Amino acid sequence: MHSDLVISQTDGRPMYLQIMEQIRQRIAVGDWEQGKEIPSIRQLAVSLRVSVITVKRAYMELERDGIIVTQQGKGSMVSPDPELGAKLYDQELAKHIDRVAQLGELLGLTPKEVASRVREATDRLTTDRLRKDRLTKEYS
Amino acid sequence: MNYAMVKRLVLKDWYLQRWAILGSLAGIVATLGIIATGAKVAFLFGLILLIIVIISIGAHMAVATIVTERKEQTLPFVMSLPISYREYTASKIWGNLLIFLIPWLTMVVGSIGLLLWSPSSRGLVPYTAVMSAEILLSTCLILAVALITESQGWAVAAIMVGNIGVNGLGYAFAHIAGIAKGMWGPTIQWSGAASAVLLAEFATVVLLLGVTFFVQARKKDFL
Amino acid sequence: MNDLSVHFEGVSKIYPHFTLDDLSLELPTGTIMGLIGANGAGKSTTIRILMGLVHQDRGLVQVLGREMPREQAAAKLDIGFVSEDMRLYGPATLAWHMSFVRSIYPQWDQAYSEMLLRRFDLKPEQKIKGLSHGQRVKAALLLALARRPRLLVLDEPTTGLDPVARQEVLGELMAVLADEDRTILFSSHNTLDVEQVSDQITFIDRGRIIASDNKEMFLERWRRLRLVLSPEAGLPSLPGVVEIGGSERLPVLVTNRFDPAMVGACNDAGATVQAVDTMTLEEIFVANVHSRREKQTV
Repeated sequence: MHSDLVISQTDGRPMYLQIMEQIRQRIAVGDWEQGKEIPSIRQLAVSLRVSVITVKRAYMELERDGIIVTQQGKGSMVSPDPELGAKLYDQELAKHIDRVAQLGELLGLTPKEVASRVREATDRLTTDRLRKDRLTKEYS
Repeated sequence: MNYAMVKRLVLKDWYLQRWAILGSLAGIVATLGIIATGAKVAFLFGLILLIIVIISIGAHMAVATIVTERKEQTLPFVMSLPISYREYTASKIWGNLLIFLIPWLTMVVGSIGLLLWSPSSRGLVPYTAVMSAEILLSTCLILAVALITESQGWAVAAIMVGNIGVNGLGYAFAHIAGIAKGMWGPTIQWSGAASAVLLAEFATVVLLLGVTFFVQARKKDFL
Repeated sequence: MNDLSVHFEGVSKIYPHFTLDDLSLELPTGTIMGLIGANGAGKSTTIRILMGLVHQDRGLVQVLGREMPREQAAAKLDIGFVSEDMRLYGPATLAWHMSFVRSIYPQWDQAYSEMLLRRFDLKPEQKIKGLSHGQRVKAALLLALARRPRLLVLDEPTTGLDPVARQEVLGELMAVLADEDRTILFSSHNTLDVEQVSDQITFIDRGRIIASDNKEMFLERWRRLRLVLSPEAGLPSLPGVVEIGGSERLPVLVTNRFDPAMVGACNDAGATVQAVDTMTLEEIFVANVHSRREKQTV
């Protein structure tokens, strides 16, 4: 089973995180469907030329997050949970929101200021979409 | 002792030294040809040539198969094979001795045979026997030193000592009463002295090989 | 079946100018261990003792369940060895070497050896003395790999190889591990390679093992913390600090016992944590060696 993951050594982040992220992406966009069998830890390690222990760590964390499921003697597969896509995006959102909070604190913003900045961002998104819809309507 | 591995190692060394070995075989054939012409001068000339071939191949093989393993850094490759010092040492000794023994036996059988066949020079037989064993001893010395020291310097020294020894003892034996008596006569006059020297020479060969194995077993750094 | 492929216990070797001191090492079957050390640290000596080529003065050495050097002949039937100072026979061809090795080892895989010839771009009819350094290294590796040995022992397998050859070699080494009964021990001062493929990492310096752990643990426990000290605050006391750099107001600490709770502790103590950097294996190794050599304790 040939994986299409690509690991970069110059990427500053630990390799196990890169692996996790790429697997998450594949699942989120639908390349790897729910319940699909994924390469075993050893197979992936060999094809990525990365140590077994790193892949094992990535798989363990993914399993902890409910993204994949490993069955003893049967290998690993994408979690058959139908809510998986949504769950992934939710985890992604949580991560980014934590980061926003950290950055806000570093910049010395109050929680209220941080919240208002988030509101500004969602407002901007809505305005942009409305503008795009209007333009498409004018030119169609 | 894994004899199959020893055999493979011996064949490996013979393959790598095939040109030298073939050269020595050609030399033997040439000397036999010269001797076969029948002339007395040819006999002596052929004998000297044969001795040169014997001593050369013995010295060359010892250096080429033993000292070069260390010099050319092939020793780790050989020692990574499923062997211990036993198989390594045995293969070097067998591989070298067998190649040496071909010309040596040719010389011993040929010269003693010729001496026995020619009625006037049989007296030389004891001397020839003693000197042949001396040459064997010299080669074993070179082998032992090469294996134990794995050094080109020591091996060359052993070759020189061996050559000087053969010449020196050659002169000495020709003047020992027991051997020299009747040397130039028509009959074989075997003496106790000759037997004693012959025995001592063979005992020394066995001792040299034994000491070699013993020292190799004690080596703690094979590399 | 022994679950340790290699076991060193209290191994010592004394030379006039160098001593390997009380070395203990465990290599579980199915894993790959990288041995990192400066030149002359003792990597090659350790590997030679493992192969029975050098006899230890003290201590127990077991390889694939066999005691070394006593059972070295039996052990070496299952070990593939390639070292940097090893040479093949110059006047002979690669094909000759292949048939020589094949005649000795029943596990020789002819099809695999031919695939390796193609992958490593080697021509069997070529004489060894005509090969470049990189080609010779690959040739020696081919001879070891094609036998499918249970244990591969490699001393500097990628040193002197061009980047393409390095990736090929690393790829083949990892392919070995597809079989979980096979183990690899390799020494290298190329920390990038070691960091990429090793499960276990051992640091060796001046004849002693200064650290040995699984790779992810190393990468997790070592961090560089950049702090900003408020004027009244002093340097916070943190566990496992092996190096202190930077300036007085902007210290940079290297710790080998990192815990996310440290960040909060620092901030509480008046030292704002500006950044928590992960460290590459090379940085970890150098920090480890420096701290040991200068006997720096905090």
